[in-house]
Amino acid sequence: MRRPSARRITALLAAGLLLPALAACGSDDKDTGGGDTTLVIYSGRNEKLVKPILDKLEKAVGTKVEVRYGDSAELAAQILEEGDRTKAGLFFSQDAGALGALSKEGMLQKLPQATLDEVDDAYRGSEGDWVGLSGRVRVIAYNPDKVPEDKVPDSVLDVVKPEWKGKVGFAPTNASFQAFVTGMRVLKGDDATRKWLEDLKANGAKTYANNLATLDAVEAGEVSLGLVNHYYWYERVAEKGEDKVNAKLHFLPGKDPGALINVAGAGILKDSGQSEPAQKAVDYLLSKEAQTYFADTTKEYPLAAGVTSTVEDLPPFESLQSPDIDLGKLESLQQTLAMLQDVGLV
Amino acid sequence: MAALFALLPLGYLAVRALERGPAYAWDVVADQRTLDLLGRSLGLTAVVVAACLVLGVSMAWLTVRTALPGARAWSVLATLPLAVPSYVAAFAWLSYEPDLAGFGGAALALTLVSFPYVHLPVAAALRGIDPAQEEAARSLGHGPLRTFLRVTLPQLRPAAAGGALLVALYVLSDFGAVSLMRYDTFTRAIHTSYRASFDRTPAAALSVVLVVMTIALVAAEARTRGRAGHARTGAGTARPPVPLALGRWRPLALLWCGAVVAVSVAFPLGTLAYWLTAGSSATWDLGGLAETAWATLGVAAAGAGLTTLLALPVGVIAARHKGRGARLLEQAAYAGHALPGITVALALVFFAVRYAYPLYQQLPLLVCAYAVLFLPVAVAATRAAVLQAPPVLDDVARSLGRRPWQVLREVTVPLAAPGVAAGAALTFVVCMKELPATLLLRPTGMDTLATRLWTETGAGSFAAAAPYAAALILLAAVPSYLLGRHRT
Amino acid sequence: MNELHVEGLTKSYGASEPVLRGLELAVPAGALAAVLGPSGCGKTTMLRIVAGFLHADAGTVRLGDRLLSGPGVHLPPERRRIGIVPQEGALFPHLSVARNVAFGLTGADRAERRRVTEEMLELVGLAGYGDRMPHELSGGQQQRIALARALAPRPQLVLLDEPFNALDSALRAGLRADVRAALHATGATAVLVTHDQQEALSTADLVAVVRDGRVAQCDTPQHLYGRPADPWVAGFVGDAVLLPGTVEGKGTALTALGAVPLATPPNGTRTGTVLLRPEQLRLTATDSEGAARGTVTDICYYGHDAMVTVTVDGHDTPVGIRVAGPLSVRPGQETGIRVVGEAGLHP
Repeated sequence: MRRPSARRITALLAAGLLLPALAACGSDDKDTGGGDTTLVIYSGRNEKLVKPILDKLEKAVGTKVEVRYGDSAELAAQILEEGDRTKAGLFFSQDAGALGALSKEGMLQKLPQATLDEVDDAYRGSEGDWVGLSGRVRVIAYNPDKVPEDKVPDSVLDVVKPEWKGKVGFAPTNASFQAFVTGMRVLKGDDATRKWLEDLKANGAKTYANNLATLDAVEAGEVSLGLVNHYYWYERVAEKGEDKVNAKLHFLPGKDPGALINVAGAGILKDSGQSEPAQKAVDYLLSKEAQTYFADTTKEYPLAAGVTSTVEDLPPFESLQSPDIDLGKLESLQQTLAMLQDVGLV
Repeated sequence: MAALFALLPLGYLAVRALERGPAYAWDVVADQRTLDLLGRSLGLTAVVVAACLVLGVSMAWLTVRTALPGARAWSVLATLPLAVPSYVAAFAWLSYEPDLAGFGGAALALTLVSFPYVHLPVAAALRGIDPAQEEAARSLGHGPLRTFLRVTLPQLRPAAAGGALLVALYVLSDFGAVSLMRYDTFTRAIHTSYRASFDRTPAAALSVVLVVMTIALVAAEARTRGRAGHARTGAGTARPPVPLALGRWRPLALLWCGAVVAVSVAFPLGTLAYWLTAGSSATWDLGGLAETAWATLGVAAAGAGLTTLLALPVGVIAARHKGRGARLLEQAAYAGHALPGITVALALVFFAVRYAYPLYQQLPLLVCAYAVLFLPVAVAATRAAVLQAPPVLDDVARSLGRRPWQVLREVTVPLAAPGVAAGAALTFVVCMKELPATLLLRPTGMDTLATRLWTETGAGSFAAAAPYAAALILLAAVPSYLLGRHRT
Repeated sequence: MNELHVEGLTKSYGASEPVLRGLELAVPAGALAAVLGPSGCGKTTMLRIVAGFLHADAGTVRLGDRLLSGPGVHLPPERRRIGIVPQEGALFPHLSVARNVAFGLTGADRAERRRVTEEMLELVGLAGYGDRMPHELSGGQQQRIALARALAPRPQLVLLDEPFNALDSALRAGLRADVRAALHATGATAVLVTHDQQEALSTADLVAVVRDGRVAQCDTPQHLYGRPADPWVAGFVGDAVLLPGTVEGKGTALTALGAVPLATPPNGTRTGTVLLRPEQLRLTATDSEGAARGTVTDICYYGHDAMVTVTVDGHDTPVGIRVAGPLSVRPGQETGIRVVGEAGLHP
């Protein structure tokens, strides 16, 4: 048997160790050579969704922009761990909770009133240190072959009725669903929410890995109703054409908890020394160009005043009858998760 | 040094867990929920380990000791599941049957990706057993099955236990499969804790419990080593065993192997192919794919290199010394392995930001994270390989004028080289698949196949994700294939 | 200058019974000494301490004028200039025969290494085998190479740890003689550890019998066999006939086999165990003069000789009698027994 010689193995190991060292040297040069500050964005929003607009942002802001993609919550934990030596100038979060956590630790910088005033005060941090950029609304997706539109419940509270036994799909691990449950706790109280969750489970509601899988199940008629975010359907329509998509959406009226609006937003890190470009970035993200991008590409609702979505069939933002909730209160996700665990849904 | 390195996360955990005083940490741990999690984690671990033992030992025995048609090919195929990331396997199963979510699905997905951890060492051990013993048992009136159970199996125990330990640690630290399958274990609770409360204390306290469990498992495994002797240094080489004729069991054996390979390798690959053809988000960005693949190979090679280098002294000491110090050293190496990637990553963020800021978000730090996470994989391989090299050779070399480090370089390492190389290949595969630590520690802008896969599936573009998943599996299959062919 | 002096060696593992309890051994320069003892007697521990692989609890090891081990002194194995030949050779499987032999030839240049390697291969009778790999050699050949490897750096002392164990007996005898010759040719002092008394007696210049961590007797093979220090040693180095005896006046002892002359005059003892070797007993006619009488119970035939077991009248345990040449007795037959030569008396 031929055995690799010790020398060869040593050489291989040495090569393996040198490689990253060399790579590191290379990137060091890049970092320090820039002279002017680089804006580092930690983005909890998916690269596929926001890379085009962040590329444009680089031109608009005029400084070099580096984007680090990750999970919103994990990036928030990373920023907390980095503390005052954080590399992030701007945190672009998928949801309000992660921004709230940084705000609570006092790591975010207060935004100018002019910036804050761009959006409705329901969609910005109570400390004025983060601002919502785009919104997504909870809806009920339905399969018209299984259930005519006029029979689709107008309240999420009704999907636990016996007539929907085994006909409802939802994604219990999805952050938006959990935010909705938190909202319901704020609106209806913990006992009512727990009861609703228990009823949902007892009613044989089917669980899926995420919103998309839930929508697929509605599409396939596996379930009649699905609790999802609105934009998945619009993306699906944009991808396949409306006539190819079977499922329809029902926007809930009457400030139903099931019509909660979640926002994605951004905040500036105090200690990064990048306040100036970060501020420009926030302003750009609230500009008409960026807001239109969110509307057209990610099918979300633009939150900046004066920008409306041009997506066909999307009900106007003003027409949404979402519940009045202080988004800051959605931070009590921990108890929501405990409740979901108790009920046995996650 | 290597052990110190592996203990970094523990230091971090201590800081974070006690941040708000021991009472608070104790409150978190001394909770009914912790007990539930403990039961659930251990239950899942036990079931997966048992299933992996059945699959791994049966496949090893069939491919090494019987006249199974295409035995070598089956042996290699049985190694390939290593290349499948647990989240891909879980996703494939879920997309096929959403009702699998829960304990069953998690156990299924984890078993199918981790049974090679048992298969590989057991197959190697089977090749090393002197067939004369089995012949003696047969001549004493034991049938093939009894012979296997009473003579062969006991000798496989150390190898199987070593593999089972790696499986157990893998299950304890896995996040991908349990999160997709929505089965709450320690790892998932730790992730949830970061996400839901942004309070790092509960996560750290739970991680400490996980570390304690790991140490208990490692100690249990060490006990099974018990009387397992050192390397055999026979005067001649043992005759190759005569493969056992399967007779009328042949179709059944083939069916079994076929089924195992089908569900563990063909199924996930088939699902990927389906995504590719069914979805419309498929974009063949070959340039991007090649670049990402290249970056993945580079960082995984560096990870495997550093891990192997650190594992070498630990493995040698663990194999050659039986004292308490040696055992502690080896156990320290295992400390990081059962921790979720995110915990290890945050620990390194903590230390790097404070003490090695220039390295922060640079490749070397990511490579270090791989070393902390996967040190035990390489240590186990090195230890086994060094055990194969008879210690008397070290004595001879010393008597011929070599210093201990020269003995290591000239005798021990060359002899253990094939086994060490196998460990490096295994480490390489697991580095390629790693996601949570890579996400947090990679240089800004760098992508690996795993992070790319995460991005694409996160955006729901499964068709676009499929090429990355396929590339990951195929690239990881190369070292897996070499592992399958490796003969000890 | 190459003499080995081991003094007061003590060693125990953990809290268990000590393995060595003050072992003493002196081997003159150039001699081949065998350390003989049953398994577990501590002989291998001694060898490993001398080689430097183990630390002694107490005692000293000197080689020539160098102190190798002693209070506060422990020379590492690589600086002791002691070669070892382990059980089953333990050749480096990843190196060729020549590279195995040259392994210890560090300071030397290439040509010198090659010359010494060839010389050593010739010495052990395997010239021309340098390019082979260890697994291509037979067990005996591997053992010869192991010896060549140990001798190549010209060690002051060579330790052989049961080197002939794994070989069949026909091969053993030849190899023993060759090893002896090779050792003498290089002039190295050597210590052979073995549990095989035949091997010890036939190979060594000096045999030390070790029991319970001490040397029970150290002597030339002839003395050891002929004048064992006690019945245990006697039984260990060969077959022994032990009979209770009473001393009579002029240096004889009265036993079940009659009056037996003693080799050394008894120093005051009146009774004791009389020790004879089976070849000192002769079968005679039942009615022959002065012979004891007994019955043949068993015969073990070896070809060159045979061991005849005889129950002696007036003695409980049967005695063994080595008979050379053709056999004339059968089991069950009555026979006379006569003693030749002198016996030892042990209290």
